[in-house]
Amino acid sequence: MNVGYLIRELYYQKRRTLAAILGLSIGIALLIILNALSMAYRQAAHAPLKEIGADITVQRPGDVPKDLSGAVFPCSAVTISQAEVEKIQGLPGIRGMGKAVLLWVFDPNRAWIVLGIEQNNSVGPAILRSAVTEGRFFQEGTSEALVEAAYARQFGIKVGDLISVADRKFTVVGFVDASRASKIAVANVYMTLADAQNLALSSKQLQSVSPFKPGDVNLLFIKAEQEKITPLAASLKGILGKKATVATPDSFLKLLGSLFALSDKFTLAASLIAIIVAILIAFKTMAGNIAERAREIGVLKAVGWTNRNVVTQLLMESVVQCFLAGILGLLIALVVAFGLSFMKISIPIPWDMAPTPHFLPGGGDQIFKTLRLPIHVPWTLALFSFVLSIVIGGMTGALLGRQIAKIKPSEVLRHE
Amino acid sequence: MSKSTILAGEELSKKYGALEVVKGVSISVDAGEFVCLVGKSGCGKTTLLSLLSGLERPTKGDVVLNGKKINGSSEDELALFRRQNVGFIFQSFNLIPTLSAWENVALPLFPVKMTGEERKRRATELLTQMELGHRMDHLPSALSGGEKQRVAIARALVNRPKIIFADEPTGNLDSATGDAIMDILNRLNTKEGVAILMVTHEVELAKKAERLVRMHDGEVIS
Repeated sequence: MNVGYLIRELYYQKRRTLAAILGLSIGIALLIILNALSMAYRQAAHAPLKEIGADITVQRPGDVPKDLSGAVFPCSAVTISQAEVEKIQGLPGIRGMGKAVLLWVFDPNRAWIVLGIEQNNSVGPAILRSAVTEGRFFQEGTSEALVEAAYARQFGIKVGDLISVADRKFTVVGFVDASRASKIAVANVYMTLADAQNLALSSKQLQSVSPFKPGDVNLLFIKAEQEKITPLAASLKGILGKKATVATPDSFLKLLGSLFALSDKFTLAASLIAIIVAILIAFKTMAGNIAERAREIGVLKAVGWTNRNVVTQLLMESVVQCFLAGILGLLIALVVAFGLSFMKISIPIPWDMAPTPHFLPGGGDQIFKTLRLPIHVPWTLALFSFVLSIVIGGMTGALLGRQIAKIKPSEVLRHE
Repeated sequence: MSKSTILAGEELSKKYGALEVVKGVSISVDAGEFVCLVGKSGCGKTTLLSLLSGLERPTKGDVVLNGKKINGSSEDELALFRRQNVGFIFQSFNLIPTLSAWENVALPLFPVKMTGEERKRRATELLTQMELGHRMDHLPSALSGGEKQRVAIARALVNRPKIIFADEPTGNLDSATGDAIMDILNRLNTKEGVAILMVTHEVELAKKAERLVRMHDGEVIS
């Protein structure tokens, strides 16, 4: 192969070179963008759960007592027994679990949404520790509580105040801005899991519709091995019943309703089409190139170039074109990805995971987790696309070999 | 076939379907000889040249070039044989438009293992001989017809061939430039001792050669 000849051919045949590079680079860019979009939607679907340090949340729907007074469970989250929790803990693929008790407390002059959490567990709502805006996080066994900052402002609650929740007194030790952290498992008052369990145990209304024993909970937050999330979801329904609400990144992905989120098959099919288009462009360009340069190839053969010499020369031209197309395609994809990263997507939070009673003001509104599309081009995808573009260039060799062997110098060099 | 015969075609025939273009032609060229093949258009001159140079395979007959029977060789063997023994000059020059004059001259040497400097040195030497030392880096599009053909002659000589096949080398040139090209070919033949087999339909031009072979309707008539 002669490098000077290769460079001159690419340089002087600008239109042919640019057409080939642009055509192929668009195919490569399309491939990268489609896959980056698909990955971005998948990553976005993790966001609502990731915010509370979990991969899966589990709750079981049930009944609400007719008399809404004192502490009750929301109809979307009733008792999960200690025995069920232990069974779940034994499932393969679970890396960690957080437990919580979510209560609606209807006191004579105020309604509270109460969440009891394991304050030292990194899985689950204790992640709110980072969202404390004033005061401190509560401590075990001290009847301490955190109040949601906006709620505290609305009702004039201050750090150090004593609040009464279902006839029990709690010292407010701090405020938490839950809106900054999560859309799931948000409440007005946060307390230790033990305190919330005690509230549930002593509530007759709650016990009348959903018997609750010491050690029981009504919300589970599970950290799992990524590849086992789907089988785990099925096992959880097996333990808690088919009606159990098991939220996973996949279930949020389905709620997104985007083509990219709906199906892996769509991305795969679109990627395949992009690859096929890129291959066709490369082959068409090369076939055109050979047809256009038949006379030149005839001269090369006449002056002593073997088929292999000619094929190597043209093949390297094709590989260099595809190499440049790979770089350009990657650059186009990076620019498009940068533009798309400003796009905002809203992930709807299912009503049964929203903690506010639907009959209270704002309780029936659809809640969304809105975030910027977390699109980026991973180096593995960039490398794959880049290598693919060069492989496509190399594949044209198969076509080249046959086509070039067919060219007879005596036929193409006959004078006009 | 004498000891000094560089090229011999024996009972050569070429058929394209039912059409027989070359009919049992026998011809030989001695080392250092300048032979002109003349005849009207379509009489089979160019086909005979293609058969003798190994660009085309005969339907019947043998070609012996520089002592080697080339009929049975593969395409790639023929290419290598041409690279080592043969130079070509075409009517329409057939220069590569994207390569400069010296690169066109060095074209047959590109697949040969040698340094770039050596290739350029040989190309420069030949272009200087052709009085084109000042046009070394020009593209073919910047050269006149006569200059293009001189570049093509330099290309035909770069592999130091035993024989040059020239197919109507003056066909695309005016008569003055054509005469100049013929002078160059004559000089190469007499001074360098390169055998030349030239195809032309211009009898006056052919008279400048050492020997004339006339063709008519696929046969050698004299």
